[in-house]
Amino acid sequence: MAQKEFRHLSRDKRTIRLIIFMPLVQMMIYGFAIDTDVKHLYTVLQDEDQTPISRRLVQAFEQSAYFDIKKRVQNPQELREALDRGGAKACLHIPPNFAKDILAGRPPKVQLLVDGTDSNPANTASNTGVAIVQSFVQKEGLVPIRVLPIDFRPRMWYNPDLKSAYFFVPGLVGLLIMLLIPTVTASAIVREKENGNIEQLLVTPIKPYEIMIGKILPYVLIGLIIAGTILAGAWFIFDVPIRGNPITLFFLTLLFLTVCLGIGLLASTLATNQQQASQMVMFFAAPSILLSGFIFPRENMPLPIYYLGSLIPLTYYLKIVRGVVLKGLGVWGLRDQILPLVVMAAVILFISVRKFHKRLA
Amino acid sequence: MNRIAIQTKDLTRRFGKLVAVDHINITIHYGEIFGYLGANGAGKSTTIRMLCGILTPTSGTATVGGFDVNTDPEKIKTSIGYVSQKFSLYQDLTVRENLEFFGRIYQLESERLQKRIEDVMQLTGLKEYERFEARVLSGGWKQRLAVANGLLHEPKILFLDEPTAGVDPMSRRSIWELLYQLADQGVALFVTTHYMEEAERCNQVAIISRGKLLRGGTPRELRESVSGQLLEVECSPLMKASQAFSRLPGVVGLTAYGTTLHLNVANAKSVETALRDTARSQSIAVASVKPIAASLEDVFASLEKEMGTGD
Repeated sequence: MAQKEFRHLSRDKRTIRLIIFMPLVQMMIYGFAIDTDVKHLYTVLQDEDQTPISRRLVQAFEQSAYFDIKKRVQNPQELREALDRGGAKACLHIPPNFAKDILAGRPPKVQLLVDGTDSNPANTASNTGVAIVQSFVQKEGLVPIRVLPIDFRPRMWYNPDLKSAYFFVPGLVGLLIMLLIPTVTASAIVREKENGNIEQLLVTPIKPYEIMIGKILPYVLIGLIIAGTILAGAWFIFDVPIRGNPITLFFLTLLFLTVCLGIGLLASTLATNQQQASQMVMFFAAPSILLSGFIFPRENMPLPIYYLGSLIPLTYYLKIVRGVVLKGLGVWGLRDQILPLVVMAAVILFISVRKFHKRLA
Repeated sequence: MNRIAIQTKDLTRRFGKLVAVDHINITIHYGEIFGYLGANGAGKSTTIRMLCGILTPTSGTATVGGFDVNTDPEKIKTSIGYVSQKFSLYQDLTVRENLEFFGRIYQLESERLQKRIEDVMQLTGLKEYERFEARVLSGGWKQRLAVANGLLHEPKILFLDEPTAGVDPMSRRSIWELLYQLADQGVALFVTTHYMEEAERCNQVAIISRGKLLRGGTPRELRESVSGQLLEVECSPLMKASQAFSRLPGVVGLTAYGTTLHLNVANAKSVETALRDTARSQSIAVASVKPIAASLEDVFASLEKEMGTGD
């Protein structure tokens, strides 16, 4: 059964192209094109203090490579104009008594204005700015060191260069499995129904579970190949370090695959033709991309949406794959993600296997 | 008489209120070609599905190859072959790949499988198409492939659901030759069809309508069962003639066939005289009147008529 499925696949040039090229193209798109990194931001400086300390702060900003101080202005009007007219993305303002205040132990008011039109880079820019100031203050040792409320996002910790490829590329493994596997599984099964093959199979001594395993097995393999391709690409092309245990990742990917296959199977029992099946899967996949935290951090979502996201298998798998790849977490560290996936896998498989049986009988 | 291959006893299947198959009793022996006749929706496919062990009967029993459809459906599956109405093999696999795939499902070990594949390709003449994908084959060759596929595991009973639907006359003929060959080898063949001329080729025929078995027997018995005699009348205009003739005393049934009418009559002589009189008075041109033997189509028509008056 499984061998036959591979033969089907080898005849189906379109699906093959989809399976091979989609991961690569997506990896390139998300890895290179969607660059939410904030680098060489056009920055305007108004330094009203002009002391060695203020200059050292400016230097700290310049050295960070995130802010390029390209223009120095003398008054607030010029500063405002630079921002308004769109050229500048950020403005650093150091007030007149900056050095004096620091020496007197009064916290000086350094202002960083960021163009917030595009919220993602703006967020990053302001976070980076805060980080630079804090490290500057510590380094200078001029102010009694406060306990810093470190609320940096983890990606900052584990991705010190803030490369978005680190963030997106491992996540792609999950996204692609989520997009491809249920679709191909569902349409492979529905195709048998459409062509009347199932009827021929029914009069043979083959058992329903054998049909199912045979249909599913090749797609498990394809899922693993996709995962392998992307992680290899992540490693070679984007220098994403793989810090965790690949074997852990392998088994957890298998778990996620099970959930996705279950979704495909379920869709196949409900749909009567291939188009319906893929539409059904898409209906499920689209919110998955948006709500799982693949692009937008779930922490910023309104509470109901946040909870909705926790019903999506991809949400957990993203945490797993990022956790293993970037943080080097093991099974125990990811237990909060693994458990829901196991439950989902069990529920979805149970329902779809039962429906599959009924449908055949 | 050969041993019994298939026997049903009051086999019945309901779908909700609809009685698709209603207390059917049939017996089929090995080496026999059994023709199961009926209009679309008469219950042919439902009967086959029950006999193949895919559908459980609502009531009644049937044994197929010695196994009970109610208790041993899985064992039936290993001992029968099934050729479905629609081509249901894999279009994107080659002839050989299709055969290999189904052979493996029937758990033929590889050496025997290879031999069987050669055998069935030889039998059906598919050898030269071995490496062609099924979808490029014409309807007739596809059907031969389906038959070849059904024969792989050497079943002693073969079900064919309208094996020649949509197949050109030449291929139809060679498929029938193949079926005779199988029957000679002692295989029981259960064939559904709605082509009457095909039914004539069967050893045994059963006619069903709305789930009920109307009549069964050899084609000759069925033809002879049409009571009275049959007159073929070539005349025009046909519609006017059919109205006029159906009112004549002694005419039991009337069916139009092309430019002729088939009249089922009690007494050929007296009806012919009355018929010619009526024709003359109503200016109907009668070219010829001759007694003919009933075809299965006539049987079918007269049975349908009986059913109609029965309701």
